[in-house]
Amino acid sequence: MRLDVVNVKKSFGDKEILHGISFSVTSGRAMGFLGRNGAGKSTTIRCLMDVFRQDSGDFLLDGQPFEPWKMRIGYLPEERGMYQKNKVLPQLAYFARLRGASKADALRSANYWIDYFELGEFKNKNLETLSKGNQQKIQIAQSFLNEPDILILDEPFSGLDPVNAQVFKDTIADFVRQGKLVIFSSHQMGYVEEVCDDVTLIHEGDIVLSGSLDRIKREEGRDKLYLSLAQDEGQDELTRALQSAFPGLLVTNSRDGEGLILDTQGQALQDRLLKWLAGQQVTVRRFGLYEPSLTDIFIEKVGETA
Amino acid sequence: MKDFLTVFQYEFKIQLFKRAAIVTMVVIMLIMAVVTSLPRIISLFDSGEPGGQKADGGISGFEKAGYLMPEDEQTRLALLAVLGSEAPGYADRAALEKALADKDIEVGFVVADDLSYEAVYQDRSMTEQRDQIMGDILTAMKKERMLLEHGLSGEDYAAIEAARAQGTTTILGQDSTSNYAITFLLLLLVYFIVLMYGSSVSSVIAREKDSRTMEILITSTRPTKLIIGKVAASGLAALIQFGLVILVSYLGIQFNKSTYPPEVLMMISGTITPGYMWSYAFFSFFGFILYLFLYAALGSTVSKMEDLASATGLVQFLFIAGYLLATFAAQMPNSAVAVVGSIIPFTSIMVMPIRFGLVTVPWVEVVAAGVLMLAFVAFFAYLSIKIYRWGSLNYGNKTKLTRIVREALRREHR
Repeated sequence: MRLDVVNVKKSFGDKEILHGISFSVTSGRAMGFLGRNGAGKSTTIRCLMDVFRQDSGDFLLDGQPFEPWKMRIGYLPEERGMYQKNKVLPQLAYFARLRGASKADALRSANYWIDYFELGEFKNKNLETLSKGNQQKIQIAQSFLNEPDILILDEPFSGLDPVNAQVFKDTIADFVRQGKLVIFSSHQMGYVEEVCDDVTLIHEGDIVLSGSLDRIKREEGRDKLYLSLAQDEGQDELTRALQSAFPGLLVTNSRDGEGLILDTQGQALQDRLLKWLAGQQVTVRRFGLYEPSLTDIFIEKVGETA
Repeated sequence: MKDFLTVFQYEFKIQLFKRAAIVTMVVIMLIMAVVTSLPRIISLFDSGEPGGQKADGGISGFEKAGYLMPEDEQTRLALLAVLGSEAPGYADRAALEKALADKDIEVGFVVADDLSYEAVYQDRSMTEQRDQIMGDILTAMKKERMLLEHGLSGEDYAAIEAARAQGTTTILGQDSTSNYAITFLLLLLVYFIVLMYGSSVSSVIAREKDSRTMEILITSTRPTKLIIGKVAASGLAALIQFGLVILVSYLGIQFNKSTYPPEVLMMISGTITPGYMWSYAFFSFFGFILYLFLYAALGSTVSKMEDLASATGLVQFLFIAGYLLATFAAQMPNSAVAVVGSIIPFTSIMVMPIRFGLVTVPWVEVVAAGVLMLAFVAFFAYLSIKIYRWGSLNYGNKTKLTRIVREALRREHR
């Protein structure tokens, strides 16, 4: 399956939130949908789910208009909630039935995911009696009900402790392996980096990056080298020395402050730099090609962390 | 259809087995059981009709009465003959009042002569009648003495009094006198059902929004199915629960019928015509559904449960106005206000059955009201779905109802 978002625009009142965004998602590859608060992630997802209707543009699934109510979709909204005063198992079965499962399949699916998250003892308890973390797991479970072909998860990691986040990551990886189409938005770059094959970065209603994470990292690291010293003390002097020895070389501190990023701006400086460094009175800890983290890319493209 | 049934079943179970609803129903059923058994319960404690003649010659209900007899010997003897020789007499007013204070007697009569007396109580209950009965006794004694003075016997007088013209009354339409109570009781039933289940539907939806469940629901199925499923579930739960109340009342009446006074029996039998029942069933049912849609729509306009009461205030006001109009129509069923009220759907739910029970309503008015009711139900169901959809996306600040309606109708959603 291939889902194409084609030139989607959406305004609220006089304010245009999405300025004609386009990107694609393919099944069997998890797509991380990133952006700062208010960038337009949830609006895009809600338009996709037909919670809002976009002003223009299309959502196409394998070239045909995407009609979410006709598909088996697992959806976890950003503003999540379920019936607090109703029992866990019946309401999960209810949601599964609303998505087309038979009564028996709905119960089977609800039981499976309750047991999967080790919440069997709470099956017949009202949701409000569960801890916040366990409620979160039930909410995630509802998006996995009924073997969805498409998973759309808005900020799925928020509120999860590291252990449950790992369980969740493994589950998403399973879905991806089964060839499902998975989109999730997140602020937690580490999780996205671990789980996603593709990323799309939205900033103020425009797509600024989209595609394979590996390719993006390669492209963002192109012409850049990483250099770190055994002692931090000499870093400032080294920066000044580098800039005077290699005019046109752009030297910046890495985000963690542990080393320097050397942007050669297309010049073949690697060998010359290596020789030059050997003649300096410094102990090099690491020197090589620079591969930016997703957080580095995010900061570079949109200014700061989400 | 499958989704509608899924929503319906889920909501129906919740509505029917909600603890608060069950407790309320059980309490109402108990009240109805007690009310319908009231004549039997009263008869268990009743020693007989006050004023009736007892076997020992005294008057029923006067066992705890004391007397300060008149000086006129003739009146005194006649009175003792009626009251019985055991009637306790007192020498003076002070002794009589002391007996009252000591609770030896409940009422004291100071009889001055055959047409003048004073009833003295320590405390007088609401149902006390003995003071009036004493007046009747003395009047009857005086009349009999006067008849004798004119040479007539008591039998002659009874024969004169028995002369009556015989007549029958034929009512071609409705008899307001006998229908009033039963139609009003049925009106009260509708009143309670609408208020109780209306608030229940609005709170179900407001809670759905408050807990943010709405977004999951509207992305799982169409809002049309959600709203209609919820309203249908509430409607059926109401019919079942109040059907049980009616059943308990019916069984109570059947079981206790033999103890009812004739006027009550007349009131509860033979006054409900099939035409009235059809009118009642049609307008109450569709009016109830109309109000459920209104409550559902308003429930989806609030973001927090605590805002629900003020949001539903308008529809409560509308409904209570309808109830007041119905009470007015009960007094003047053919007035212009009652006629208009019986045609407009928000009020016809109660006014039309009341008019139908009391007077003959022209068919053109019934048909107009019926068509209008169905049209309103359809329109408000549509509006309710649109507002529900609007509500699923709007949280936070309160919005004016007119703006909500405008925006809800403008937006394009599935």
